Amino acid sequence: MIPLTHHLILAAVLFCIGMAGVLVRRNALVVFMSIELMLNAANLTFLAFARDRADAAGHASAFFIIAVAAAEAAIGLAIVISVFRSRGTINMDELRTLRN
Amino acid sequence: MNIPSLTFLDFQPVLPALLLAVGGIVLLLTEVFQSAATINRAYQSMVALAFSAVAGAVAAATTLEPAREVFLGFGVSDPFSGAVTVLVCVGLGLSVLVSAGFLRHRNAERGEFYALLLFAGAGMSLLAMSNEFITLFINLEVMSVSTYALSAWLRRGTRPSEAGFKYFILGAFSAAILVYGASLLYGATGTTKLSELAGLLPAAVASNPGLTYLGAGLVAVGLAFKVAAVPFHMWTPDVYEGAPTPVSALMSAGVKATAFASLVRVFLPFAQDLGPNHAQLMTYAFAALALLTMVVGNLMALPQRNVKRMLAYSSVAHAGYLLLGVAALFARPTGGEGPLAVTPLLAGAEGAARQQTLQAILFYLLAYTVTSLGSFGALAALERREDEPRGTAWDLEKFAGLSQRKPGWALAMAAMMLSLGGIPPTVGFMGKLFIFRAAVDAGLVWLAVAGVLASAAGVYYYLRVVVYMYMRPSQDGVTVPERQWTTELALVLSTAAVVLLGVAPGTLSAWLGKASVLFSQ
Repeated sequence: MIPLTHHLILAAVLFCIGMAGVLVRRNALVVFMSIELMLNAANLTFLAFARDRADAAGHASAFFIIAVAAAEAAIGLAIVISVFRSRGTINMDELRTLRN
Repeated sequence: MNIPSLTFLDFQPVLPALLLAVGGIVLLLTEVFQSAATINRAYQSMVALAFSAVAGAVAAATTLEPAREVFLGFGVSDPFSGAVTVLVCVGLGLSVLVSAGFLRHRNAERGEFYALLLFAGAGMSLLAMSNEFITLFINLEVMSVSTYALSAWLRRGTRPSEAGFKYFILGAFSAAILVYGASLLYGATGTTKLSELAGLLPAAVASNPGLTYLGAGLVAVGLAFKVAAVPFHMWTPDVYEGAPTPVSALMSAGVKATAFASLVRVFLPFAQDLGPNHAQLMTYAFAALALLTMVVGNLMALPQRNVKRMLAYSSVAHAGYLLLGVAALFARPTGGEGPLAVTPLLAGAEGAARQQTLQAILFYLLAYTVTSLGSFGALAALERREDEPRGTAWDLEKFAGLSQRKPGWALAMAAMMLSLGGIPPTVGFMGKLFIFRAAVDAGLVWLAVAGVLASAAGVYYYLRVVVYMYMRPSQDGVTVPERQWTTELALVLSTAAVVLLGVAPGTLSAWLGKASVLFSQ
């Protein structure tokens, strides 16, 4: 059986990759994917602890997070499409109408 | 397998949220039956207003019932959550009134808009009651997903979609941080319920300090994004400027108020059950956050000539004053040692002091809700849609000579600016007085002094708007949009509230004092 720490380290690495992606990448879809990666890191952490403790609450949490992530994806992609329609690009560096 | 038995007592506290959700569904369904020939959308704002009024009345009637757990401990019904729901419904109602005129002027009135407003309100009401991390996360997302869609509502030009996008990316980012923090806390303590967390924290800190601190820190960062505390405020000015004005109003009032409510609910166990050292650590952490937010918010607002952007930075500054209240709540004056123990309180008096601080926070939230909605409402009345794509609709010059063209609007805006600046006789002054007094009582004298100085700097940019309205001549050829009775009603209501509560805050603050009770084991 794979020990708990391995799962946790994998989840932490995924979370950090996701976070770096949000902060560094400029393509809106890649940023969006990175956020999903962060949510999945949380899922993996919940599941790893839930298996370790044999606790159903952690397993249930992961399902709720998946459902919320799906709702978020629906609204997020709609907003990305409306950005693309209004300016023909989804590069975040070109979103600079609103600034000081 | 044991099936939980839920009774009417479980559902009764969520009645306001259910009413708001039903209102949203009614609006969505009736929108479907609109045919192109007989289109009539005048009823929609009234339906939304009626549902928020009824939900607010139900919440107000049941606010002072004793605190208890509902839904097997996943939620709590306490006077605090009731008061926050009332506050949300007040903000929702005013925002619906402002939206009606605003959307009609832009030919963008649809049932979905009000439905999204009501769904966001339902999420806010439930968020104030959430007492478990996953419940909290879901309700936070119900509120946020609705506001993402609302901020990108207008399709004209590049601004609204950009605002929606920036809000979505940073909102989803912060939610992911929050839920990862919650998963680490689950690992450290074995529970996601806040009521069980309280008892398990000391053992978790002893055996797994890294996991516990990191988890709590990430949850705090996630919530700090939502309340727009510096340095997590970068999205605020852009989003508030690009979003439709009534939506910016709701974001600055409702979203912020409920995020503060859950911040208090999540972190009070940490300050309460981990001993004085941790309480002091948390007080310092939140005091630093408050100081940074007050100073940066006010300094960034100073040079703004775009009034909507100025209001956005002012909303950051106000989050700072509220964080000052939160820091005071966590400060545990135990008397004797420590730099925090300037005014020693007896252990028995601690609960009373905490209740008073909570009352100050609630009063400030209410004061800021009516003032912010009034000021954004005046802005919405004044902006012309042809100026929006160029971003000049909110320029300070648009306010020049307003007192001659529209004396009523100028008076309302002046009252709002005085209240935001904290000048008597307005509700904003009373709110600041309560918050700073609570901070001084908690021994955070230096922070209260910093807060007073920061708000003195704030008076400059608030009064500049008043000076433009009353002392500058009107520009040639400036037209103002036609009057909308709904917007004017919202202005009258919020101005009356700002002045009356500023002159006679007694009844309200007494009620909020009774409502400042959090559920505890």
